[in-house]
Parts: sequence; C-alpha cells; structure tokens
Amino acid sequence: MSEQKKPRQETMTSAERMGAILMRQRPDRIPFMPFIFGYCARNVGYPIHAVYDDAEKSFWAQMWTAEMYGYDGGAMYGYASMGGWEFGGEIKMPQSEWEQAPVVKSFPAPTPEAVDALEIPDVETAGCYPIAIEFAKMQQKFGMPIMVMGMSPFTSAGNISEVDVLCRWMMKKPEVAHKLLRKVTIFAKNVIDYFIEHFPNYPMMAFTGEATSANQIISPKQFEEFVLPYMKEFHDYILQSGIRNIFCHICGEQNLNLPYWAQMEYGDPGILSFGHEVDLTTAIKYFGDKHAIAGNIEPQIIQNRPWQEVYELCRIAIEKAKDAPSGYLLMAGCEVPVQAPPYNIYVMKKAVMDLGFYD
Amino acid sequence: MADEARKKETLKALYDGVVEFDEDKVVEYSKTALDEGVDAYEAIMDGLAAGMEHVGELYANQEYFVPEVLMCSDALYAGLDILKPHVSGKESKVKGQVVIGTVEGDVHDIGKNLVKMMFDVAGFTVHDLGRDVKLERFVEEQLKTDSEIVALSALMTTSMLAMPKVIEMIKARNPNALIMVGGAPISQEVADNYGADGYAKNAANAVQEAIQMISRLREMGRA
Repeated sequence: MSEQKKPRQETMTSAERMGAILMRQRPDRIPFMPFIFGYCARNVGYPIHAVYDDAEKSFWAQMWTAEMYGYDGGAMYGYASMGGWEFGGEIKMPQSEWEQAPVVKSFPAPTPEAVDALEIPDVETAGCYPIAIEFAKMQQKFGMPIMVMGMSPFTSAGNISEVDVLCRWMMKKPEVAHKLLRKVTIFAKNVIDYFIEHFPNYPMMAFTGEATSANQIISPKQFEEFVLPYMKEFHDYILQSGIRNIFCHICGEQNLNLPYWAQMEYGDPGILSFGHEVDLTTAIKYFGDKHAIAGNIEPQIIQNRPWQEVYELCRIAIEKAKDAPSGYLLMAGCEVPVQAPPYNIYVMKKAVMDLGFYD
Repeated sequence: MADEARKKETLKALYDGVVEFDEDKVVEYSKTALDEGVDAYEAIMDGLAAGMEHVGELYANQEYFVPEVLMCSDALYAGLDILKPHVSGKESKVKGQVVIGTVEGDVHDIGKNLVKMMFDVAGFTVHDLGRDVKLERFVEEQLKTDSEIVALSALMTTSMLAMPKVIEMIKARNPNALIMVGGAPISQEVADNYGADGYAKNAANAVQEAIQMISRLREMGRA
C-alpha cells in the first residue's frame, strides 16, 4: 500500500475496547479479533503443535502475535476436534506443513456398545484440559479474563464416534446418538463447574462453537432434534453458573439453522461469530439487537488471494456490520490458516484502522 | 427372463430402495433381479445408479443432507454387493481406473467416500488410499495401477495447499495422468490455479467430469 494517510488515533486499549463491547458501549473503533491459533506459533518460530500442547508457548505465541499485528482479544486455548481425546481416544497433533490443528486419530466410541461403556472423564485429566487449565492460569497470572473452552455437544459427539457414524445413528439408532450427546453434555457442564470452582470470582467468558452441525452436513430438522436441545441446555447452564458472556462460533453454512440458533441464550451480550457462508446482514437481523456480531472474512481468501481482495472483503464487512446495534468485531470466518501471507493479516487491521472508527 | 413390465417394476424398486434408503428392499430386489433374469448391469445402472442420481439432486436441493445420503449409499452398496459379481463380459469392462484419497493433513473423508461410491457405481476401478494420505502415495499408486485419473480431496484451507504440490509430483512422473480436485474450499478457479485437469463440485459431478476427462484424453490419442 503506497497511499500515505495520517493514522487515526486509538483512544482505548484492547482490553477497554473489548470491555466496551461487553458493556454494550460504543468503542473507539470496531475490535479486530482475527481468530488465530496455529499461525501464531509459526509467527514466532514455534512448531504449530506448540499452540495446542504447550500452554506457556501457546499463550506467549498468541500474545506476541497480537502485539505485532495490533489486534484485540488476547489469547485463548482450544481447537475444533475436542471430544475424542477427552473421552479416551487418540489425537494427532499437527506435524506436517499441511496441518494446522489437532485431529482425532482413533475414535473412542464408534459403536453403540462403546457409547454404553463410555465413562464421563475427570476434567482435571481429560485430554487437553490439563493444558487448558495451565493456559487459564497464565491468563489469570497476567490479569486477563479466562476464556473457558466449552465442549459443544454435537461437534464433540462427532469427534467421539466419528461424524459419519453419528450421522448413521441419527437415522437408524437415534437413541444411541442421544445417549452419546447426553454424556458429552454432562462432561461439558463438568468443565464449567471445574473452572468456576478453581478460579472463583475471576472474570470469565465461555467459548462454544459448532462446525459439524452446518447444513453442508445436517438438515435443520436434524439440528432441531440433535443440536438445539443439548446446546441450549449447555448455554443455559453456563449462564446460570455465573459466566455472563458466551462467545459462540457458528461455523460454516448455517443459514437454515439460524432460527434455532436464535432460540439459544448467549449472555448479556454474547458474541456470535459467523463463517463467510452467513451474510453479516442476515446475522445482524437474527442476533444483532441482543448480541455483538463477528466475522466473516473467508479464510481461503486470506490464505490464497492477493491482499487487495482481503482488504475489499473487510471493507464490505465493515460497511455492513459496523453499526450493528450491539457491536461488531472484524474476524475471519474461521481459523486464520497457518500459511496465510502475513500481509493479508496486516491489511485486515489496516481496514479496521481506515474504516472502523466511530466518529 | 423377466417380462418388460416385471423388469420395470424391479428396476423401479431398486431405484426407490436407494432413494428411500431402504437397504432391505434393495437386497430383496437385487436378488429378485438375478432370479428373474434381469441383466445385472442394467439393474445397477437403471436401478441403483439412477436412484443415486436422484439422491444427488435431492442433496443439491437441500431436501437430503449427509445423513440421508450416507444411508442411500449404504443401500446402494448392499445392492452392488449382490449384483456386481453377475455383471458379465463386455459390460464388466471398466470405464477407467481412479486413484482417490484425501490429501495429507486432512482426515475428513465423507465427501471423498461419496465420490468413490459414484465411481464404483459408474463402473470405474477405484483405488482408495483413504485419508491423510502422504503425497508420495498418490504418485506411487498412480504409477503402480496406471490409473487414468487421480482424484484429490481436501476440506481444510491448510491441506488444500498440498494439492498443487502433489499435482506437480504426479505430473513429473507421468504427464498423462489426469488430476481431479474437490472439497469445500476448492473452486474451479482454485483447480485451474493448481494445474488440475478437472474439478468436482460434488459427487455426481465428479463422475461426469472424469468421463469427460478420459474422453478428452482419448481424443488426443494419449490413452
């Protein structure tokens, strides 16, 4: 970018800006929260898996990268394939240049019998949670709110049985699917209890997210039966536990499911992030009165296309959503790919600085 | 030999069995087809495959979703298991061979499996390498089997970056091999940029694209 403009002056720190969103106040500019994990490890010279298997490296890689790019929102721990490891399966950490997040290597409950035998794990020792707890201690040590990684029942169930197995149970053995979903929901609530108990009276936010419930996979009717009741119950439980805000990532093509997502609670306010498949105007129509909206710059564009296209997508997103009633955060539509060109992330911030201030 | 009306009834039952994901019905009418002398190849193509084609339309129209399509696929395979061994002589000649797999770094294989099924039912010999497949394996398998087509699948934005690399590796060893790519983040533009010969927007489209690719190859006298 060659054009020289006098930079706009920020009048809030990142913490104040995020705080303003959560207090339903107008910040100096829209927050920029890219949704970025593995990239941070690569950015500071760590192996990508460090962001998932080493709490301290994960925390600092994210904090340093946030400082470098000047984005908001700090650091958080988690990944999309949670559930498999926590319930006794095996996970594979990202190793090759083509991998960016952990994947389930062996599924702990691929049969109805295994679902019957599945025990609710102890949070303190389950899968990634010892790392998540260490990460939370880092957040506490540095005075940041703890982002509790909540296990979303449906996606986690798919990570426990394998998605195609879960899909077949939904059709042929719905009682098995429900049994698994119930067990995951119990564990998900136990996670909330654990954090409340071990970090008493400390500011917290909960993160939930759903990818497997996208309409690329299931129907809205299946969402109503297999996702809505468990997710709703989980969100209600989080809020009743005293956590005031939920950050919920509604991943992928979810347009047909939006009427059901609108039946859930997210706190006061929640932050709801969307993939590029859901138009921000639509998201604001459904949720904008009560909750802040985040999204939805397509990761594939961030990774593969010239910076001008990324900037233009950001411009369009900001134009559509900047004045959302409960606020807007510029964010990628899903995790920023680890191989994204650094300049493409920089221009997301630049778009915020050029176009995201409230006058 | 079944009379025409009875044959139509049997083919319709196979079609319906797939569309309604009624595995028992497909098994019953596959046996009926054989018992009554219906040509096995015809039963597959005009019964099972025709039914799956309609399932593809239902998926495209968002009337069916992955759970329904998987059930239809199970029903189809139940029929194929019975009918395929009885496909005879000329008709059993394969349309082509395809090496298929989800690229290294990607464990998502539902889409790949549906594409594989479409190749199976269309009469291709399919060499399925599974998921998270090391790039060298695609090269080795293509050379070993002399398959005309290598079909690569990726769901993740990171793993899709393996595609141009493996395309380059395959073409370096066998410039005549045809590469098809597909998966959620892939578009025609991405396929073109990666140097792929074909792009499968969905499972049904994959077979049409493959047949066209092989036809083009043969027209050029390369096969």
